[in-house]
Amino acid sequence: MNKILLKTSLFATAAALVLSACNAATPTAAPTAKPAATTAPAAPAATAKPADPTKPAEPTKPAAPSATATAAPTVAPPTAVPAKAKGGTIRKSTSGFKGTLQYWVLGYQPNRANATGRLMDDAVAQFTADNPDIKVEITGYTGDQAGFTKLTQAVQGGQSVDMFRLPSDILPLLVRDDLVEPIDAYLTPDDKADIYPNLIEAVSVKGKAYAWPLWVPPVGMYLNLDVFKEKGVDLPSKTWTYDQFVETAKKLTFTRANGEKVYGFTAGIDPGLVNAWPLFMNEATTVLPLNKDNTKFTFDTPESIAGLQRFADLALVHKVTPPDFGSQAIADIANGFKKGVYAMYPEPSGASSGYVADKINFDVWPMPIGKSGVPVTAGGIGLISVAKGKDAARVKAAMDLARYLTSKEVGDDVTGFYLAPGARKSVKVADPISKFEPFVASCYITPIIADWPAIRTIIHPELQNIIFGKKKAEDAMKGIAPEINKLLAAAK
Amino acid sequence: MARVKTFLRKHGWSYLFILPTMLTFSVFVLLPVISSLVISFQKYSLRNGGTWVDPIYKNYIDAFTTQSGVFLVAIQNTLVYSFFTVISNVLVGLILASLIQPLSQFFKTFFRAAYYLPAVTSAIVIGMTWRYIYNAQWGLANFVLRKVCTITQELVCIPEVRWLSNPDIALGSITLSTILTVPATAVVLFSAAMGGIPKEYYEAAELDGAGSLRKWWNITLPLIRSVTLYLAVLYTIASFEVFEKIYIMVPAGVANATQTIVTQIYQNGFQQFNYGVAAAQAFVLFLMIAGVAVFQFRALRSDVEY
Repeated sequence: MNKILLKTSLFATAAALVLSACNAATPTAAPTAKPAATTAPAAPAATAKPADPTKPAEPTKPAAPSATATAAPTVAPPTAVPAKAKGGTIRKSTSGFKGTLQYWVLGYQPNRANATGRLMDDAVAQFTADNPDIKVEITGYTGDQAGFTKLTQAVQGGQSVDMFRLPSDILPLLVRDDLVEPIDAYLTPDDKADIYPNLIEAVSVKGKAYAWPLWVPPVGMYLNLDVFKEKGVDLPSKTWTYDQFVETAKKLTFTRANGEKVYGFTAGIDPGLVNAWPLFMNEATTVLPLNKDNTKFTFDTPESIAGLQRFADLALVHKVTPPDFGSQAIADIANGFKKGVYAMYPEPSGASSGYVADKINFDVWPMPIGKSGVPVTAGGIGLISVAKGKDAARVKAAMDLARYLTSKEVGDDVTGFYLAPGARKSVKVADPISKFEPFVASCYITPIIADWPAIRTIIHPELQNIIFGKKKAEDAMKGIAPEINKLLAAAK
Repeated sequence: MARVKTFLRKHGWSYLFILPTMLTFSVFVLLPVISSLVISFQKYSLRNGGTWVDPIYKNYIDAFTTQSGVFLVAIQNTLVYSFFTVISNVLVGLILASLIQPLSQFFKTFFRAAYYLPAVTSAIVIGMTWRYIYNAQWGLANFVLRKVCTITQELVCIPEVRWLSNPDIALGSITLSTILTVPATAVVLFSAAMGGIPKEYYEAAELDGAGSLRKWWNITLPLIRSVTLYLAVLYTIASFEVFEKIYIMVPAGVANATQTIVTQIYQNGFQQFNYGVAAAQAFVLFLMIAGVAVFQFRALRSDVEY
């Protein structure tokens, strides 16, 4: 009996150890997963209203970079940049403030431990060199919900934060609680002429602007050129249509000799992401989640429903997407793209620098044009806001630093500072970030309203239901319309 | 009055010993619990504090009606997950501990240590492991299914399963992952409880001709009832509070099919800053756990001494 028990126990133990071994093996996926999965951080997410989707892309526009910390390592200089000679036109603060500013930065790691850490330390060093009475202490926070919670709670506490980097979708919640200073009084005519007007409009509530726009990482279509080459598929035209996109995706969906399946397309579907939205928003220029004054849900219009259903057909009809399409972790998508099992996927600029560092053979294409006939993409805005304060000189100093950190001058002072296309016309960025510059003008930014996080949480599971084939687009969107309209009505 | 004074003179000093613990408990557990109950009746902001909502139970109504009433789905999902995982954890723990019990001390120690490994492994790591196992494209689970199909020359072929992207089975996949993870605490506690049962009981039963199964059923099980109760309550609380695993395995959710009570609280509290609604949902969770725990105590209570 004991022998039998011993054997049984040994078998069970072996099974347990195998599982434990699996646990030990998986961490390989983990490190990459977390950063990428955090939708908010990088993606300075897409909130707001700016761009007019009907407006064609303008190749000459500036550009920009992505806020994602993942991009940083490849572009940051490894050592500190010596402070330039005093006398920068924007660097000098006229606040008269003497003391220490507390600046909270998304993705910052102290001691130059990452690119954001190095770039921000260098930029702040430039500023303090011209303002010896002002010290700046930087606190980093992670680009996930935990990090945003840390930031918002610190701002709400009202003590430890003077200014902070944030994605645009958090801003309205802070404005609603009267936690941030309007910047209008600090905007110079030069600022107003330089910053894209739609971005100023995007950060405005009731006529007041509440943040300094830093950059706009619009979504572009990443193409794995090795997969194109492997299948002998020609690169499409940069003005490709949605039908051409579908045909390309079909050609790039195949099984390799070793049994490995390759899929032509995938995308991150997440409540905090709008990466895939341009693929159904291109049905008509009226396909937007809310109407222009944010008072009505409009994804339930016939055009929106047609676009959503057409998008879902990528999985349901054309079968060009992986089996987990709709609920894939963002990190899994990036890993799959690098491994060459996904040929195309949409993502903002943040990932591009990382792919360059990893020597991935890729390029970035505009999102395909749908029935609307005009290019459309989506994205967010990286912002710097100044917390509400009673000390006018302190607030002015923070505003001066924020202006410098969003200026062309900081880009000139610190090489590679901009990790996404800049929010100012004067800012120029280099490859690969420059690939995204042409998309800025056609970038739709999700509504910057306090209820948007709740609204997107309601939309997301229904979007998944459409993709999974559990609901028709019409039923899904018309089903949630009353609740969203009720929210919007209550906000009014 | 005199009796009170006598009591304090005699026993008062002993309360000093538990005072530090009581203070810590009050500050870090009791006060937050009371505070969250208060917040559940308020519109709350970290900077400006709270103001009472009107009607006073508004947050509780909102808790059940926001997002088309997804909180009810979350409660249902939590109950389903808890039902299967609590029963399986207790049963598997009991069976493994029973298998270990007759072994020599060396092997007992070895197996207890081996089975305890999952308990010292990060829940995040376990979640990521299962996410990999369940990946429909390159995961271990579908790989095994494909191999079985090949080995049996297509006699036993199960089509590719979308473990974590099919709303109909995603919660079941997550539940299965918990069931297949060895319940370390249960193994160790059951094992310790079995080791404390006097040998004489088994010897007497053997003299009466009882076999192994009879001894296990009539002696072991009744005498470890208090541990069974403790584990049932422990695993119930843990399963009602399931969060990390779901957050890691399906970070984007699966069309609300994997919503649980705590993921709802997280969404409302930390993503949408509806602290009042989140606190109301947390209090509902508290009541549910308390209710189930009371039921378990009544059903499984034992005053056995030996």
